[in-house]
Amino acid sequence: MTDSLPAASSEDSADSGELQERLALLRNSASRYTAGDVHVKRARALRGTQPGFDRDAWRQMAELGWLGTLIPERFGGVGLGCTEMAVICEALGRALLPEPVTAAAVLAGGVLLYGDNETLKAELAPALAAGTLIPALAWRESVHDTDMLAVETRAEQTPRGVKLYGSKCLIIGGAAADGLIVSAQSSGGIGLYWVPGAAAAPGLSYRELPDGRASAELVMSGVEVPAAHCVAGPGAASAALERAYDEALVMASAELLGLSTRALEITLEYLRTRVQFGKPIGSFQALQHRAADLYIQQRMCRHSLDEVLAALQRPDLAAEERGALASRIKARCSEASLRITRDAIQMHGAMGFADECDVGLYLKRALTLAAWLGGALLHRRRYARLALKETTA
Amino acid sequence: MHDWNNMNDDDFRKEVRRFIEQNYPQDLRFLPHRPRFSVIKPWLMLLVEKGWAAPHWPVQYGGMGLSPRKLLIYMDEQGRWGVARQFLGEAGVVQLGPMLIRFGSEEQRARLLPKILRYETIWCQGYSEPNAGSDLASLSTEALLDGDEFAINGRKIWTSSALDSTHMFLIVRTDKTGKKQQGITFLLLDLATPGVTVRGIKNIAGTTDYCEVTLDNARTARSNMVGELNQGWTVSRNLLGFERINTGSPRRSEFAFKRLEALARERGLFKDAGFVDRYAQLALDLADLKAVYVHFADLLTRGEPLGPDLSVLQLLSSETNQRITEFMLEVSGELGLTVAPGETQNERVDALTPFLVMRAVTIGAGTSEIHRNIISRHVLKLPG
Repeated sequence: MTDSLPAASSEDSADSGELQERLALLRNSASRYTAGDVHVKRARALRGTQPGFDRDAWRQMAELGWLGTLIPERFGGVGLGCTEMAVICEALGRALLPEPVTAAAVLAGGVLLYGDNETLKAELAPALAAGTLIPALAWRESVHDTDMLAVETRAEQTPRGVKLYGSKCLIIGGAAADGLIVSAQSSGGIGLYWVPGAAAAPGLSYRELPDGRASAELVMSGVEVPAAHCVAGPGAASAALERAYDEALVMASAELLGLSTRALEITLEYLRTRVQFGKPIGSFQALQHRAADLYIQQRMCRHSLDEVLAALQRPDLAAEERGALASRIKARCSEASLRITRDAIQMHGAMGFADECDVGLYLKRALTLAAWLGGALLHRRRYARLALKETTA
Repeated sequence: MHDWNNMNDDDFRKEVRRFIEQNYPQDLRFLPHRPRFSVIKPWLMLLVEKGWAAPHWPVQYGGMGLSPRKLLIYMDEQGRWGVARQFLGEAGVVQLGPMLIRFGSEEQRARLLPKILRYETIWCQGYSEPNAGSDLASLSTEALLDGDEFAINGRKIWTSSALDSTHMFLIVRTDKTGKKQQGITFLLLDLATPGVTVRGIKNIAGTTDYCEVTLDNARTARSNMVGELNQGWTVSRNLLGFERINTGSPRRSEFAFKRLEALARERGLFKDAGFVDRYAQLALDLADLKAVYVHFADLLTRGEPLGPDLSVLQLLSSETNQRITEFMLEVSGELGLTVAPGETQNERVDALTPFLVMRAVTIGAGTSEIHRNIISRHVLKLPG
């Protein structure tokens, strides 16, 4: 399906020609792969199933190079940046692909890459890029549910490595993960540990998310992790977690922008074709203005994301500034996507309330992604803490 | 003659900044509303002397000939320092000059441009009428050609700064037979002409900035017609990019946000989590408004045309501005209602004037409703 929403694309940023060319190629390949509604149909059919996504699709995305986008070439990846990855994530969001690409390739892949275990990177990263290994990050604990660094899970020292005790929840992409990267307090501070699927399996359970995908919960009472599977020691783990978290926020925002754009297009098409009182309902000013407002929201997300992505390319970007940018865009896209998809239901009338209508799938994916890693309120507060601290201190 | 466009951006910015900081009157910074012409005139005359009065006009007509990129820097620096009166000067310099350069005759350019440039003539824009506001093309002020003169009858209203102006450029009906946009002509009129009456209209912010101009058989020479007979709609619609992006600039919202910040400090509001939540929301709205502005400014810089989606910027800019000034009034409470206009000290930050003044931003540059119509019809292609 072609992009029918008239929107300025990211192509208009003042980036170099080479980058623009690369982005155009990626955009083409992404829109070819996600064309039509085959993925929306897949997402619908896979709701409530385990693992909730499709290994074949995963392999195809690996072949397209998408899973290794952020992975350096020396680890078998493509070695590109967030700007390129965002193009892919936007396309995934647009077509409602159920595969947890952001959770595996950005969040879990990120902590792996930003960790300090080069041997483990050399083992796991090429497999992630090749689509043969799906990692998930288990960071969230039920009590401290918003701060990545408030970790209570313990990593107790053993002669061979550590044993993990504690529980994790809301592990997106955990349902079919081939292994989990678990954050835990060790004697020296927070560490990150690779737990292969078989070792995690006894403690895993699942909960369904609003969009029909599954999130995993993990209980660990002495899961053994050899020293070689320490992804990041106390010297590197916190920074790795924060950076991967920020990048995942931006990529989730790109997904939200993609799905919002598509939900708005579907709605506009309905407004043009649905006839009541002898006219297309899109000729009524109440609905026209509502649609205009949604479009404004979409454009704000688009240009804000472009600005955030451009800023992320700066080599001198401080961690706090990166955090503020990531929270800024996650707050914007979370809020806008919920508004757009809620209004999409309203403008479809009774049809919008029917499960068979696709806009409901868009709303539910928006609900899931908007809440993932924190919603608008949480990120506005984080932004205030990081960016407005001179005034609010 | 200086070639500004060959200068590097940073050097140009520094030079503009230096001049503004050294010369702009301190007591006229960040005024809550447009000052009368007599108040701002000394500054405008400094710009005239410097050769900076018309940054967007071509060099051959006495302008600086700035590229869109340099022009945005020029406007940006004025905004940063709180320079009054739009960003480029008066309606004559901002609008009429470029229109004459594009549509005027050689004779008109020679006769009128030098006086506009030196503020020897001050111009106002006569477009709206009592029965032609959003539906401007329905205007009924009529001009009949009588020999070498037009005789104009009708009423113009909401004419900004007419009390300070010597002349008006206006659009009038010269043909009632065809489509309403097709019978409109663009004329120039000396306000000292017999039959012209200007009456100031006090606005809700307490100032008298806009006016009603009654035209009772007011006569103007045929040589004061710009463009062809019945082609005035095209002339009046042909605003250049930077004039259209001007009203969407985030500067006014930034200014309002700075005042909100000052108020919050005075009142110790940053300790209030409820306040901080809403303050952060507005800070993000402002940040994202700027991103949208930068997008359109970049289009201009690359010489690309601005489309109807510019209404997105206009709506975001005006409505963000209103949200900030509304919130400021809310948190200033009862005390904020008893502050002198423009007051900013001793716990008394004027929240009322910005609130009242900014009621106009969703009306004056096309109402918000008209901009939503433009988006839905011309961008989203919803049926009419």
